[in-house]
Amino acid sequence: MKKFIVSLVFVIAGLFAADRIGGVGMNWVYGHTNDVLSPKLRYLCHDIHEDVVLIGASRCHHHYLPSILSQTLGMSVYNAGIGGSNNIFSHYMVLCYILARYTPKIICLEVMPTDYCQQTDTYNALSFFAPLFGYNEAADSVYRLAGNYYQYHLSHLYRYNAKASSNLLGLVLNRQAGNDNGYIPLSKPNLFPKKLATEDMRNDIDSLKIRYIQRFAELCHDRQIKLVFTVSPKYTIVDSSHYNILKDIAQKNGILFLDYHSCGLYHNHAEYFKDSSHLWDEGARRFSKTFSNDLKEILRQDKLS
Amino acid sequence: MLFNSLAFLLFFPIVCILYYAIPSAKVKGRNLLLLMASYYFYMNWEPVYAILLLTSTVVTYFAALGMGHFRNKRKKKLCLVSGLVLNLAILFLFKYYNFLASNIEDVLQTSGLGIYIPEFRMLLPVGISFYVFQALGYSIDVYRQEVKVEQDFLTYALFVSFFPQLVAGPIERSRNLLPQFRQRHRFNYDGVMAGIRLICWGYFLKLVLADRCGLYVDAVYDNIDIHNGGSYLLASFLFPFQIYGDFAGYSLIAIGVARVLGFRLMENFRRPYFACSIGEFWHRWHISLSTWFKDYVYIPMGGNRTGKASQYFNLMVTFMVSGIWHGANWTFLCWGSLHGLLLCTEKTLGIGKQDYPGRRKLCHWTVTFVLVCMSWILFRASSLHDAVTIVSGIFCKMGIPIITFAMFTELCLAVLALALLLIKELSEEFCWEWHIRESRYWLVRHLYIVGMITMILLFGVLGGDQFIYFQF
Repeated sequence: MKKFIVSLVFVIAGLFAADRIGGVGMNWVYGHTNDVLSPKLRYLCHDIHEDVVLIGASRCHHHYLPSILSQTLGMSVYNAGIGGSNNIFSHYMVLCYILARYTPKIICLEVMPTDYCQQTDTYNALSFFAPLFGYNEAADSVYRLAGNYYQYHLSHLYRYNAKASSNLLGLVLNRQAGNDNGYIPLSKPNLFPKKLATEDMRNDIDSLKIRYIQRFAELCHDRQIKLVFTVSPKYTIVDSSHYNILKDIAQKNGILFLDYHSCGLYHNHAEYFKDSSHLWDEGARRFSKTFSNDLKEILRQDKLS
Repeated sequence: MLFNSLAFLLFFPIVCILYYAIPSAKVKGRNLLLLMASYYFYMNWEPVYAILLLTSTVVTYFAALGMGHFRNKRKKKLCLVSGLVLNLAILFLFKYYNFLASNIEDVLQTSGLGIYIPEFRMLLPVGISFYVFQALGYSIDVYRQEVKVEQDFLTYALFVSFFPQLVAGPIERSRNLLPQFRQRHRFNYDGVMAGIRLICWGYFLKLVLADRCGLYVDAVYDNIDIHNGGSYLLASFLFPFQIYGDFAGYSLIAIGVARVLGFRLMENFRRPYFACSIGEFWHRWHISLSTWFKDYVYIPMGGNRTGKASQYFNLMVTFMVSGIWHGANWTFLCWGSLHGLLLCTEKTLGIGKQDYPGRRKLCHWTVTFVLVCMSWILFRASSLHDAVTIVSGIFCKMGIPIITFAMFTELCLAVLALALLLIKELSEEFCWEWHIRESRYWLVRHLYIVGMITMILLFGVLGGDQFIYFQF
């Protein structure tokens, strides 16, 4: 038994050392990689200063060109969309990181049904933010919901698990090509989506997510940030009542709701889409112009009133 | 409870501490603890299914007692048959009833009879095929008088439900495992450490190799309409390593866990992809199941002792049963039949009987590997239609694999894990003298554990994915 205890102590000590040294190494990788996500997270925490910030998942990341928005609005714009961060918990964490640094004037939140409906993999995307564990207490509190708060506390190496491979590859491959203040273009597809399919949105409402949407709105309200909910174009047919729950929240909190889901300008144009949910670069440029003009007009009317 | 869950990582050390806290002389006390732990382990999925486990145990226990009690051969046989029928009835009801009912319904409908056969609406209990087969093996062994009847119900119940191998094997033989439950197991430092190293390697195979490969395999096989021949080929090349990592990983964890507790389970995999014939493959792949079928199906049917024609017939039946054992789907039946056919062809051509020299061996290995990979397509596809689409796509719809950058990065890790596996298997296959896991140096053996856990922490898919063989 004595020998076993010696072995156990050695393995635990070795693991502790490997975890801490590995954590330092991966933190260096995280700080130097040219992958898509890590440079954005670094920017969100240490450099962001823009007047307008766009938050959302991949549809935000690939649909809004800050250069076009900035030109029309006359304000600096940053696209903080993160591919795969597909619900309100991730968006809430991004907001916490931003607010820990400064207060933007406008925040546009690209909303999706997964922001308020139940999912099977609700907390998967939170691991993307794990390298920032310990940076902001409010954001870290979301890990308690996911049940991996203590794992991240315990292991420094585990924080880099979700994007370890892409961070390492990002040291040799530059994936920042076409980066326009957070926006990364999608290339032209070989095959455009053929059929305008009906989107099935019958999932039950997740009350916890609704609470977090409300909390998101309150945080913006407290800091006097103008919040806008947006839905960018999709190549699907959807029941118009589907976003009612979000529209209600928007109405109660005085939030602007811009719905381009079934916008005629795009709905009959498969050639703008990479797939049923994403515009490719040309579609995104066109949409950014429409969106920035609409937003400019709304801001002008707001000023007048 | 999954081996790759946090719950198990807490459960196992607690069981170990309690187990070794009981003096080794108190064998019954330790067995009782293990039995309770095993039922707790199983009931973590669906508590009610523990009743099935208990039923199977009680039925085979009393059937064996009956066989021991009666001297009359007919009565003995009656005990055996009743035990077999009751166990197979449970297996049939949960695993095969719906499949058979829907097929009968289809046949009736095509012949103009729209008869509705009611469905059996209960989920397939985890590991049912494994523990039922283990219990059946015991009953047959008792009938053949190869093992003595186990009089102690507690010991027998533990034999059927022993948690390390309860849900996905290795399917143990009563003559190997039952005596171990009667022995004293003192704390053995070397055994415990060897077990821990096996567990680490098993986790590595599952979490780093299998689950990384699985990300791409699932993306292709679950969306075959949007992929091309290149994707099918890549996924079909990765799946053999996914299933090997998954299942061999599970078996190693099971063997390692048992070893920590002082038990020795049988080897389940012996570098199967180094096989130079299909026959050899089955001597290396899922050994506990293939030997089970050999001992309890193939040999009782006549095995090799009959004429050529009936030998081939016996082989085909054994492999078809083995195929359907994996799941109630035509794909599994065809997979088993294909292996049976390949084995019959090998026997006809006299392949696999001798050791081939250099280049010829490489040729045989390549053909075997390709055939095994192709057969896995049937195993992985959701339907025969999908399998045909994939095979035809590989030959007729070839193109550069459709792969996102994120997926590409995942595959880079899978390739890294595969390289490690290859080095390890090559060194074992060709007896090179650099065994890191079982190195004679204390420091190397301990650094191996630290290295494995570190790699799992950084590169493992830690979402608690199911093991593939749990569905069987």
